[in-house]
Amino acid sequence: MQVFGPSELLEDVLNAGLCIGCGACVNLCPYFRSYKGKTAMLFPCSRETGRCHAFCPKTEVDLDALSTAVCGSPYSGSPTGTYQQVFMARAGEGAGNGDFQDGGTVSALMKFALESNMIDGAVLTGRNGLVPAPGLTTSAREVPAFASSKYTAAPTLAALNDGFNRGFRQMGVVGTPCQLTAVAQMRTNPLQDANFADPVALTIGLFCTWALDTRGLLAFAQKRAPGEQIRKMHVPPPPAGIIVLETDTRTLEIPLEEIRPLVPAGCRICPDMTAEWADLSVGAMEGKAGWNTLIVRTAKGNSLVRKAAVARYLELADFPRENWKDLETAAADKKRRAFEKARQDGTVNAEAGCRAALRVDPRTLEKMTAD
Amino acid sequence: MSRIIQGAPGEHHLFMGNEAIARGALEAGISVAAGYPGTPSSEIIENLAADASETDVYVEWSANEKVAAEVAAAASFAGLRALCVMKQNGVNVASDFLLHLAGGGTRGGMVLVPCDDPGALSSINEGESRHFARLLEVPLLEPGDFQEAKDMIKWAFELSEQIGNMVMVRSVTRLSHASGDVELGKIPESDAKARFRHTGFILDPEQGAMTSAPVGYKHALQQEKLQKAEALFEDAPFNTYTGPENPELLVITSSACHLYSREAIGILGLENRAGLLKLGTTWPLPRQLVRAHLEKCGRVLVVEEVIPFLEENIKVLAAELAPEIGAKTFYAKRDGTLPATGEMNPDHVICALAAIFNLEYRSAPEQYTEKAKLCVLAGAPGRDLTFCPGCPHRASFWTLHNVLALDNREGFVCGDIGCYSMGMRETGFYTLKTMHAMGSGTGIASGFGKLDRFGMDQSIVAVSGDSTFFHAVLPGLVNAVHHGSNFTLVIFDNSGTAMTGFQPHPGLEVDAMGKPAPPLDIAGICQAIGAKVSVCDPFDLENTRDTMLETLDDRQGVNVVIFRQSCALSPEKKGKPRYEMHLDQKVCMGENCGCNKLCTRVFKCPGLNWDEKNQAARIDEVICAGCGVCADICPAGAITKKEAG
Amino acid sequence: MAASTLPSDPFNLVITGVGGQGNVMASRVLGNILTRKGFTVTIGETFGASQRGGSVMSHLRVSEETTWSPQIPKGRAHAVIALEPTEAVRVLADYGNPGVYTLCNTRPVHSIAVISGESAYPEQHQVKQWLRDLSERAWFLEATNAAMEMGNAILANIMMIGALSATGLLPVDSQGFEAVISRSMPADKAARNCEAFDIGAEMLRAADRGQSVK
Repeated sequence: MQVFGPSELLEDVLNAGLCIGCGACVNLCPYFRSYKGKTAMLFPCSRETGRCHAFCPKTEVDLDALSTAVCGSPYSGSPTGTYQQVFMARAGEGAGNGDFQDGGTVSALMKFALESNMIDGAVLTGRNGLVPAPGLTTSAREVPAFASSKYTAAPTLAALNDGFNRGFRQMGVVGTPCQLTAVAQMRTNPLQDANFADPVALTIGLFCTWALDTRGLLAFAQKRAPGEQIRKMHVPPPPAGIIVLETDTRTLEIPLEEIRPLVPAGCRICPDMTAEWADLSVGAMEGKAGWNTLIVRTAKGNSLVRKAAVARYLELADFPRENWKDLETAAADKKRRAFEKARQDGTVNAEAGCRAALRVDPRTLEKMTAD
Repeated sequence: MSRIIQGAPGEHHLFMGNEAIARGALEAGISVAAGYPGTPSSEIIENLAADASETDVYVEWSANEKVAAEVAAAASFAGLRALCVMKQNGVNVASDFLLHLAGGGTRGGMVLVPCDDPGALSSINEGESRHFARLLEVPLLEPGDFQEAKDMIKWAFELSEQIGNMVMVRSVTRLSHASGDVELGKIPESDAKARFRHTGFILDPEQGAMTSAPVGYKHALQQEKLQKAEALFEDAPFNTYTGPENPELLVITSSACHLYSREAIGILGLENRAGLLKLGTTWPLPRQLVRAHLEKCGRVLVVEEVIPFLEENIKVLAAELAPEIGAKTFYAKRDGTLPATGEMNPDHVICALAAIFNLEYRSAPEQYTEKAKLCVLAGAPGRDLTFCPGCPHRASFWTLHNVLALDNREGFVCGDIGCYSMGMRETGFYTLKTMHAMGSGTGIASGFGKLDRFGMDQSIVAVSGDSTFFHAVLPGLVNAVHHGSNFTLVIFDNSGTAMTGFQPHPGLEVDAMGKPAPPLDIAGICQAIGAKVSVCDPFDLENTRDTMLETLDDRQGVNVVIFRQSCALSPEKKGKPRYEMHLDQKVCMGENCGCNKLCTRVFKCPGLNWDEKNQAARIDEVICAGCGVCADICPAGAITKKEAG
Repeated sequence: MAASTLPSDPFNLVITGVGGQGNVMASRVLGNILTRKGFTVTIGETFGASQRGGSVMSHLRVSEETTWSPQIPKGRAHAVIALEPTEAVRVLADYGNPGVYTLCNTRPVHSIAVISGESAYPEQHQVKQWLRDLSERAWFLEATNAAMEMGNAILANIMMIGALSATGLLPVDSQGFEAVISRSMPADKAARNCEAFDIGAEMLRAADRGQSVK
């Protein structure tokens, strides 16, 4: 994996419009900050290598190296990544009542992880109007306050970095695939810092096909519902093809086509739908309202799920075969589109001496982009 | 007790040019002095104000130069002698009134002292006030040394009363801020009584109305006054000639350039070849006197600063006289003999004379100069100007820079004149993007704030000092609120006119003379105008940042944020650090990822140094002013602050 | 008329330093001492914005005859007092000549270019060598350190005036200094300044003897 510095990050990601505002570079140093969904570099930094660049999920992500570090083998290119088991899941009665969106699986798992001291803090993403508001909580009771769909790119990892600065060394992170790519890179100690300590004890990934630019959405909402506060957002499963915005007084149904321009360019080269670098990945369950898809990827994830089920924080059920097929197809589609786009832009496996967004064995690349 | 009223007639004192001017005003028996601070003029009013309790002179720092001129004019109308002082840029501000005043005339003596700043040593333009004398059609005097700076003021008051119009006495930085020997005269006892007489015939200059109308009549009268002044100039004691009867070159000069020219002639040993005509009365030119010298010499070098004012006036005169005295060859600015810009000095004149007389001149042995230049290159890195240690502006611009970066819409700051002009430079993180006249930041922001209809979505911030607010920001702010412009005005309220030495302004509880005065509340004024107002302490970085982010998000109307924190050099703060600062080099992250020398590489407060040996920052205890801000920006917690005992 | 003759007329002295080091005050005090002795003194200096962390120079011209230009012509300084070492180098490049006497306070003030790492500040031994090479005679005094021991670094400027008095280049002595300083400040402050003046004079005499003085 090649590590450059802040100047390259600025040039290749921020100025190139690829930044999705995940917050991986934020709060590591005095230079990168996030405000209203947008990451800014406050002052130039002259370092030739930096964690900001090393962690960023949009530049020099070496998938083979990362897969080797996380899963013990090079990147296979399989649609949903490496996993052990798949379930239908939802919050159990042990997790208490909460206004969970969908099945509440993530909230239930994080509550349990906090209460069982598997983690010392949970890095989550709340919402302040349409602006995502990441936070670190040590209290299981606060977890539901963060539960709701965002659909906007969030600087969640800024809260993780902040937690690290404050001394947390066993944090649980709930994040999107891009965010968990950054976390995975972070955990490989890319700058080979002698004093490195892995601050993360658990990662739960959220399925993601695209996100919306926060400022773009704010401007859009301001235009569609001037002066009104958006209380809730929801994307009903296909073939609805709409996004639903709820204000205090009304519900707006907006065709997805209209908001597609608000998808950040960085999302278009993302090959990961199911958060492949997580311990556990969670998504919606098509055709089964109130349930989630739960992919168990690691032993650590497996152990948490088992214990949570025993403690009745989680209800598990067998995952229907045909749903899995649909999921794989969707995930493979996203991979193919992402790599094709990256190839078009010249940002995958760049020539020697040039910098790339993604690196992967050319044979795997061939396989993933074949029709 | 100040020094300018001390000393008996005949005593010699070392006086700054501005002190000499102030003393001259006292010796002239002035009753009123008004001005607005501006380098290099400020010490004139300051010295008069400091002595006001003993001299019976009413002294004020007016809200701006136009008001100062009006205040002084009122005294003149009431039959008193009045002095009005400003830096060159101030004449631009006052010029509207001055044009009316000069057209209508004065009664008690009125002298306007503009102080120019050739080379812009403390200015953001290289302005020039002499041409105003021509525009206003009033007499212009220029002292050539410190003694004249004093004596000329008294003479100017007498002239003003003789002709019934105001008189300009122009100084420059190298007189105002230089010091020299002055022999004192007598300060008269004052028994001045003020009465504005207005019940006579409307055109009666002593009993009628004061105005420049009817224009045809008054303008002709104004020009008669000027002719009378020219006649008096022929015998003025300030025009001198030294040199041979028939010189090979006539050097005509005025002001500080007279001293440079005299020394240059001496250094080149040209005393018997070049004649030096030093003029103290430069507008209108004393025609007969100048003619007498032009007649005797075919070549003329004019030495002056800024625009070729003297050069052009002499040339016009020479052209008019040419049929009688023949054509002359001129060396000056327009032909490139002397530099067109920047201040003059003896070396420029030496250079010009050496070229005209075809002489070799070297200021020091070549080998020496070469060696010294190499040493400077190798070891005397330039010193860019910087905010003082402990200056609130550094913290203010830090926050403004950061919030505009976070805001991420290519926002920018419009500013004007003050220490905060340095916001345009490295020390202000290159945050200021427009800088013009006093108050212009607000007026320009008012305009930018209406361009949203053309797709402009950048965030707009204007900055102003507290003194500037009263001087020229108010009309711009009124305009902006009335027209629904959208921007944030930040007022750097550092409790005084800090740049020029803490002169009071209408927001403070004292006046120029140190007497209690009702302070005007900036926040209250802005609220009354209809702006949304908040106040923060720029040393509280977090609160200031949050306040600014909030106002930048408010895309409706004008927000005013008052950054309140006294100047580090203010009398109540200077030499009294608030915090004892400590830097733990073991904790300092230095160049490591996570800091990379934020405090020295980026923040650059002069109170911090980079310790190359230990690869860590360190506090320079001689320079640190103990403001505590660096402790709040240090990402490692290496810098700590403790309330000073 | 002057009480004592000058080594040359006018005698040209440059006092240089960085904004905030008390340059203007030093030149004013020295000028007043000499004016009281009957000399005609002219001082040229810059203040205002130019003072904010920038190089600051005062030009003193002492004459038995007349007022001189407030700017010394290039190459014509007879003596230079530097409150900051690299400023001495800068002044000598413009106003120095092989016959100049240099009194230098050794404490550096880093410019923001040095603080930020864009420029390097030269090693002290290097600066000293340059100044020796460029002067008829150069003295190096740890005036700021001595002033800090007195509790106020700003007194370094007065120490340098004291040091000048000990060179004998100009007719300045502690009585003259006391007479001037006591008119411009309260007695206790004036006494501190007189102490600083005497320490400066003693530092120069010790340097002449080849000793270092704490």
